[in-house]
Amino acid sequence: MFRNPMLMTALGMTLLVACWGFVDTVGLSSLAARIVEIIFRSRGWFIMLTVSTMLLVSIWLAFSRYGSLRLGKEDERPEFSTGTWLAMMFAAGMGVGLLFYGAAEPASHYFLLEKEVDPRWEAPSMALFITNFHWGLHAWAIYGLTSLVIAYFGFRKGTPQMVSAPIYAVFGRRGWTRVTGWLVDLLSIYAIAIGLAGSVAMGVFQVQDGVTALFSLETASMPLTLGIFFTLCIAFILPLTVDLGRGMAMLSNAALILAISLMVYLLLTGPTYFIMNGIVEALGTYASGFFAQGFRTYTFFGPDMTKWFGAWTLNYMVWWLAWAPFVGVFIARISRGRTIREFITGVLLAPTIFSIFWFGTFGGLAFYQAGVGKLNPQTVAEQINQTTFLLLDTLPLSTVTTAVVIVAAFLFVVTSVVSAAFVLAMFSTGGNPAPPVKIKLIWGVILGMLGLVMILSDSVEAVRQIIALSAGPFVFIVILLMVCLLKALKKEKV
Amino acid sequence: MDALIDTLINIGVFVFIGLMIWLYLKDDESC
Repeated sequence: MFRNPMLMTALGMTLLVACWGFVDTVGLSSLAARIVEIIFRSRGWFIMLTVSTMLLVSIWLAFSRYGSLRLGKEDERPEFSTGTWLAMMFAAGMGVGLLFYGAAEPASHYFLLEKEVDPRWEAPSMALFITNFHWGLHAWAIYGLTSLVIAYFGFRKGTPQMVSAPIYAVFGRRGWTRVTGWLVDLLSIYAIAIGLAGSVAMGVFQVQDGVTALFSLETASMPLTLGIFFTLCIAFILPLTVDLGRGMAMLSNAALILAISLMVYLLLTGPTYFIMNGIVEALGTYASGFFAQGFRTYTFFGPDMTKWFGAWTLNYMVWWLAWAPFVGVFIARISRGRTIREFITGVLLAPTIFSIFWFGTFGGLAFYQAGVGKLNPQTVAEQINQTTFLLLDTLPLSTVTTAVVIVAAFLFVVTSVVSAAFVLAMFSTGGNPAPPVKIKLIWGVILGMLGLVMILSDSVEAVRQIIALSAGPFVFIVILLMVCLLKALKKEKV
Repeated sequence: MDALIDTLINIGVFVFIGLMIWLYLKDDESC
């Protein structure tokens, strides 16, 4: 272990951030906020251009002659049924964020836009459009293309499942590729660790607010937060020591089933006609506007709008970039045997359509309840963590639905951390498909420590800034990976 | 100071984009 420079450097870097966060949480989050502000201001255009280009390249690949290429041997067939494949992919890519932002994001945009937009009745529609843009085709193009590169080189060229493998496969092993490849792997490990720790923190915030709502506590206390955190740690450390195989996939599917059941419950017990009208409208506005929105930078607006654009749109895009290596490896593993066309269509369309239904239901219900005075806009704006629970409180059986959210959030975080610790251990041991338990445990502990740092910052905003900072370089890496794929495809005889 | 940082970062981005286009277009025998 000590002779592995990649592992030691990656561990050192993440430990350093964790220790810094323990000693000076405020200092770390304010420095992250300052650097992220500079990055977003100076190269926000580049992030948007990259993400839109990734979407265009994905669509082009699906329709081009390369679409018929299989991710594996020509006679190979997919390991999972299409339904299971889509469910697993969706649970890995979005997870706890869906529960957290389901109502909070559309509601938050709505209450801001209500004051800015004329006519006012356009505000809910725009709020849903922006939310769907953040969680839709562009997000999945980042995941999809990263994953396609890993799957293409892994299954067709037989390279190890490392982010650097395509670079060596296309440009050979020479001076600059060795340095770049090493840095790419290191930054991927770092981005996964920080991104996943953010997910742990958000999961803890979500569970903690759920428990507060369930037991009608005034506010969440630190002992409660730490109690939830340590329960979570025990829950994810345990599966790391034994190989649960498909057990983890089952837990992740259980979380998704709980989440879907919740959505159906809200749709049926809430104002169904209102929510469905909103979803159909959202489908239309998204389909007609997503392309142009991908190129919007809000540069001709005032400072408030520019700040909002950085805090939401750019933050989301770098967030997806931070998760891309982890989700990319996972999606690649479950997509063996599919053709490029099938792969891209599934990865782009299915999760996007599901997101439109999800946010349409949660957001639509929030708009309705705000309209009839059951949801206070001020409270939502001030306590974004609690929006889901405030919304559930407006419907019958809120104790049961709150408990469902708590259990689903818990399961999403546990399955994400277990899979992430596995991917981190694999990456840091040169692509070993069965990394030692010891290394997986070390990563599990580090993810926990980083998660604790973010929890101590006690702010979702700070968590998002730290993630954005760590994902910054990944925008360059995905472009390099895209170049590798396009170069390799040029040589395919189709 | 901010303007200088912005310009320097953007020059870096332009160089990177140029490098990627060059890498895509140049002939390579390794693949």
